[in-house]
Amino acid sequence: MSKSVLVELSDALADAAEKAGKATVLVNARRRIPASGIAYSAELILTADHVIEREEDIKVNLADGTEVPAKVAGRDAGSDVAVLKLERPVETATVAEVSKSPARLGQIALVLGRPSTNGIEASLGTVSAIGGPIRTGRGGMLERYIRTDGISYPGFSGGPLVAADGTVLGLNTSGLANGAAVTIPADIAWNIAETLAKHGRIKRGYLGIRSQSVEIPSNSQTLLKREQATGLLILSVENDSPAAKGGLMVGDILIAVAGTPVLHHDELFSRLNGDVVGKSTPIEILRGGQPQTVNIVVGER
Amino acid sequence: MNFNGTFTQVIDELVQQVMPSLVIVRGHRYGAGAGIVWDTNGLILTNNHVVGRHTPVVILQNDGEYESRLLARDPDVDLALLSIEATNLTPLKPVSGSPRVGEMVFAFGHPWGQRNTVTRGIVSALTFAQNRRGDTLPIVRSDVPLAPGNSGGPLVNASGEVIGINAMIVGGDQSVSIAASVANDFVRKALANSNIEGKRSQRTPQDVI
Repeated sequence: MSKSVLVELSDALADAAEKAGKATVLVNARRRIPASGIAYSAELILTADHVIEREEDIKVNLADGTEVPAKVAGRDAGSDVAVLKLERPVETATVAEVSKSPARLGQIALVLGRPSTNGIEASLGTVSAIGGPIRTGRGGMLERYIRTDGISYPGFSGGPLVAADGTVLGLNTSGLANGAAVTIPADIAWNIAETLAKHGRIKRGYLGIRSQSVEIPSNSQTLLKREQATGLLILSVENDSPAAKGGLMVGDILIAVAGTPVLHHDELFSRLNGDVVGKSTPIEILRGGQPQTVNIVVGER
Repeated sequence: MNFNGTFTQVIDELVQQVMPSLVIVRGHRYGAGAGIVWDTNGLILTNNHVVGRHTPVVILQNDGEYESRLLARDPDVDLALLSIEATNLTPLKPVSGSPRVGEMVFAFGHPWGQRNTVTRGIVSALTFAQNRRGDTLPIVRSDVPLAPGNSGGPLVNASGEVIGINAMIVGGDQSVSIAASVANDFVRKALANSNIEGKRSQRTPQDVI
């Protein structure tokens, strides 16, 4: 009787692979073996940017075997995310279900891919690390990443990391960390995909300052009415840059962007991505130890 | 659900169920591989490449050593059927349906000479390999780490049924097992093509294969 526990677990894993496998597609946009992708909607496929080596003659094979030509709807080398648009929406396509809770350390996870037309492929692992933010090897910034000890077989980039219930925890890619497999958490990947589907690219903000992390004196923290250990001391301001136009000065300590505290350079980097670009954005600074807010129209790099 | 203790217990039960059917197949010149007790009366299934040029010695779980006879071998499916003079053995049951990608599997064998080792993983892919004849051979790929010494041993599912014969180690992390259906066909044909009872009672010359 207790034997069935093992069979039940085994069946559950196979069910999860089958469920998520229906939303895992083959993406053929390079000369080597094809890569994988995730059905984001009836006509959009989420995949890794680095597996798109040509923008013409891209083919997507759905789980049911249907081959559909596709075009690049948007791509971002920095985060290694790309969105493909199928030439025609496929109503029968199964759209991936995103996991309601983010990945947890130690959780069982399936690494899924569809690098051939022979069917879905999988390996089993556990979530072995959740980290970030890190600078990607491709000039972008990843706020969080997931690492697993599951095997990423050739052609698995662009495929999903799947929880035991068949929902998607993230997008797997070997393109961000010198060939090692990492997983972009689903919420981040889906956000990027949404922007890519709308705008075709990710806007990266530009202020025009050089800075270094410094400690914030306790009396300034008292004035701030919050505990913030560090901020960014502005070392130089480029001429005619958004920072210069907004009135930032050498010696100011930048402490928040649009209401979110910024403690380190990497955080400024991620704060300046996306929505704030081109918009007047409140930048909180300490000037002469006093908190002050200036509005800066964030430029685009 | 409270898995505390239950999981260890079911794994232990699986090991107890499968282990009696695992044998060592020791060639006369080469290192040892694994084999599977295929019926109660001494049929042993293993890889062709484990057998080598001479009929090997089969060692059962009770340490009994048996000179074997080679009933059939086929390099194109990398399988060989041996016979030993033993009775009341515990055979494994091959799976009846098709395995599923994602299901749990356990490999039994003697990797790097480490006797009676169990390693676990899942079915990674159900795919095909092409042999020298150009035939496509259904194989089960898994993420179970296999090593030399696993060859010829069983890959079983959570119920202890054989879903593959562990065969090849491609690269570092792609383990390949020959699908149970291939093993079934091979054994069926081998038994049909030969007068097994006659062969069992007749010594096979060791150098003619």
